[in-house]
Parts: sequence; structure tokens; C-alpha cells
Amino acid sequence: MSNVITANNLTLSYDSEEEIIKNANFSIKKGDFVFITGPSGSGKSTLLKSFYGNLTPDDGALVVGGLDMIDIKKDKLQELRSHLGIVFQDYRLINEWTVEKNVVLPLWISGYSEEVQKTQAKRLLHHVKLSGKEEKYPMELSGGEQQRVGVARALAKNPFLILADEPTGNLDEYSSNVIWDLMENACHQLDTTVVVVTHRIPMVFNIPYRHFTIDENGSVYEIH
Amino acid sequence: MKFIKTHVSLIFPLMAILLGLEFFIVFDRTTDTFEKNLQNGYSMMVVSKDEMSIDDFKSWDKHIEQVIELEKVKILERLQMTKEDEKKMKFQDSLPNFYSLKLDGYLTVPELEKVKSNLEKSDNILSIESFQSAYQSKYELFSFIKFAFQTFILFMSIISFFLILKQMEVWNFLHAQRMKIMEIFGASLFLRSKVLINMALIDAVISALITSAIFYVIQNVWVRGSQMDILRDNVDAMFAFTDILILLVASIFVVMVAVYLVVVNVKEE
Repeated sequence: MSNVITANNLTLSYDSEEEIIKNANFSIKKGDFVFITGPSGSGKSTLLKSFYGNLTPDDGALVVGGLDMIDIKKDKLQELRSHLGIVFQDYRLINEWTVEKNVVLPLWISGYSEEVQKTQAKRLLHHVKLSGKEEKYPMELSGGEQQRVGVARALAKNPFLILADEPTGNLDEYSSNVIWDLMENACHQLDTTVVVVTHRIPMVFNIPYRHFTIDENGSVYEIH
Repeated sequence: MKFIKTHVSLIFPLMAILLGLEFFIVFDRTTDTFEKNLQNGYSMMVVSKDEMSIDDFKSWDKHIEQVIELEKVKILERLQMTKEDEKKMKFQDSLPNFYSLKLDGYLTVPELEKVKSNLEKSDNILSIESFQSAYQSKYELFSFIKFAFQTFILFMSIISFFLILKQMEVWNFLHAQRMKIMEIFGASLFLRSKVLINMALIDAVISALITSAIFYVIQNVWVRGSQMDILRDNVDAMFAFTDILILLVASIFVVMVAVYLVVVNVKEE
């Protein structure tokens, strides 16, 4: 199976000061479900940011979706991002937009027709059990519901890779389980690669997964 | 309410800049006419021994545009001498030549003195009257009004520009989060700025139309009904329909610069 992400001696830092990730070597294949864990400040989110081009590697090589993330051009990065699904701990929904408009943001960016956007929004909101909330605004929803909107947005364009940064960090147990189910389904049914940064791997997880951990020195290991 | 507040806080400073610009255009147009009238009404009196042509005068100073010879007969008529007077012919022959000189523009007082000193270099010229004191008082008053008005417009524009910058900070706060989210999902710069551009364009059009309407009303209600000759004489200079285009272009230019400043200052988290 082809690699979706490949890192060779990957080194990451902010403003080239203290190195956060040091000489990381790993590869993530299509259809993999990967958890990245580690203590606070170890660089989990930093590593995830480098996967969607929010942080340029200082050294080594990082290839995502066949694109070299060190020399990536702005238009190529935009194209790559339009094929990714990204979920954040703080949801990052556009508060002045309705739930429906938030869900179809990736489709709107890619210029899909309004008809397609409407159909997809309906299907996705049904999938995340938020039917009937199309015209609501994010601030009118609970945290768990907002995160489900975030997941629906991430799934909108059938991405080849979903990146999630602490997706259940702010949620109660019930809402967390709903989010994990959605992620499992995306990986299992759609063969989408999923990379999740989390403090804690859920107790019950129904599909095989890989577990990477980052230690306090910024070294990345895979736990078998 | 929030929507109106967001728009008004950009429209007001934008209108202040446009009012300043339109006042400047109107003032420039009006003073241009006034300057031409002053120029047309002004002439320099020169007395010469022998007859002189326009080229003779121009060889001494390039600012001389027109030369009008004052006929000696008319001067004699003014002296109430009859045709039968025997002395008339002798007197006429002994009279020097009188010329009224028109200049090519409304010159400053030092420039006027320079013209006079250049002409005085000619041995043929006996006397020059530049009517400098009358000229100077008109010129200084005119220059003072022009300077005061331009300073006021400049001052008003600077304050308005700072108000727009302040509004940009508000826009930045309001739109930065949305633009950052859109950037993460691969939106181009144009798509990210689209909402801001639309809003700014609406405000630009509204500001230009309100400013145009204000000047149209001033022209047709206040100036036409005014008792002041200077205002009535310049009623057409107060507002022209081409000004709407100038205001619209200026307004769009200002808001697009503002939008650009907001967009480039939004940094991805």
C-alpha cells in the first residue's frame, strides 16, 4: 500500500530556535488509523501542523500526499489542504455562518454548485446525527454538537487524510464516543487515513490502529 | 444594529476623505476661473521711445503674451485737444508709445518684479507701471485662502485616514478568525478576502453616492439661490457628473488599500 505520509530525519521547530521534533522517521500508509500521544508540550500538535503545511520542516524530509512539504508552493499547498479533513480541539467553526454553511466550507472553496453543497450538507448532518440543525449557528450548539459539525466539515470532500488535534479534548464521554465512532467509520468504510493527536487513546476502539508516541526530547517512536 | 455600526464606521471616515477630495476639485476648478479672471483683468503699462512689436517684448521676457498698443489719438482725446489745434500734430509726434502688456499666467509678486526688471534692461523703454500694490494685495489674499483651504483638506484627510486604519483593526478582529479557518481548508487569497471585499465595495459605493448627493444639493439648492455673485458665477464648477466617477474610483482605491492591509496582516496560527 502507498504511503500517505513519509518522514525522514524530520526536524521541526518554531522560528528555528529550540528543536521540538528531532530526526523523526516514520511512514503512514493509506487506510491507517494512527494515534499520536505524548506528554504536554512534547510536540504532538507541532507534528500534526507540519502535515498540513502550517509549519515548514527545518531539516530532513516530509512528504504528504506525494508532495514535498519543504519546498511546497502556495498553490500546491492550497490544493493539498482542499483534499484534507482537519478537526481541531476548539472546533474552529465560523460563528457568523450557519451549521450548513460551515459543513460545506471545503465544497464552497472548491467551487461545487449550491445544489451539490445542499445535498452533501443534508447527508453529512444526517451522518453526524445533526439533521434539522442546518440553519442553527455554532454558538447555539453544545460543544459535542459543534465538534460533530467539525467532523462533518472534515468529511465533506471525502478527504484522503483526516488530521485531528485533540478532537475530544473538550468533550464529555458520550460526545467523545460519537466522535470516535465517526472517525472509525471514515477509516474503516471509506479507507481514509486518519491521524489523531490525543492525550489518551479511547478504552474501546473497534478497528486496528497504530500508536506513535513522542517523548520529552522530541523523539518519535512507534509502540507495537 | 451591529451590521449598521460596522458599515457606518467605515462610511463616515471614507466620506470625510471624499468630501475633502471633492472640495479640493471644486476649489481648484473655481479658483482656476478666478485666477483666469485676475489674469485677464491685469495688464502692465509700458512707455517706450520707439514702436515695439510683441517679439521685441518677448525677447526681454517670455511671460509676455499679448501687447496692446494704446493709440495716441485716444490719449489726445482724453486731453480734450481738438483736431484743429495746431499744436496737436507736434504734440502727437513728441508723444512716446504706450503699451498695455498681458502676461501668460497669474505670476507671483517676485516673478512680476523679475518681468519688470527684465523690461527695464531695454534702452527703448522709458517707464513701466506694474500696478504691483493692487496686484500684490489680490494675490496675497488669494494665496492665503488657497493655502488655508488646502491645509484644512490635508488635515481632514489625515484624520480620516487614521479613522480608517482604526476601522481596519476592527475588521481584522472581526474577520481574521474566518480567514484563518478558510486558509487551513485551502481557500485562495481572493476567496478568503471575498466577504471583506464585498463589504468594502458596498461601503465605497455608498460613500461616493452620498458625497455626490451632498454636492448636488449644495449646487442646486444652496449655490443657485445664493446672493453672492462669486458663488452664482461658479455654480457649474460646484459639481459635475464626472465627479461621481472620480469619487467612486478614489473611494474604491482607498477601501481596496485598506482591505489589502487587513488581509496581509492576517497570519496563520
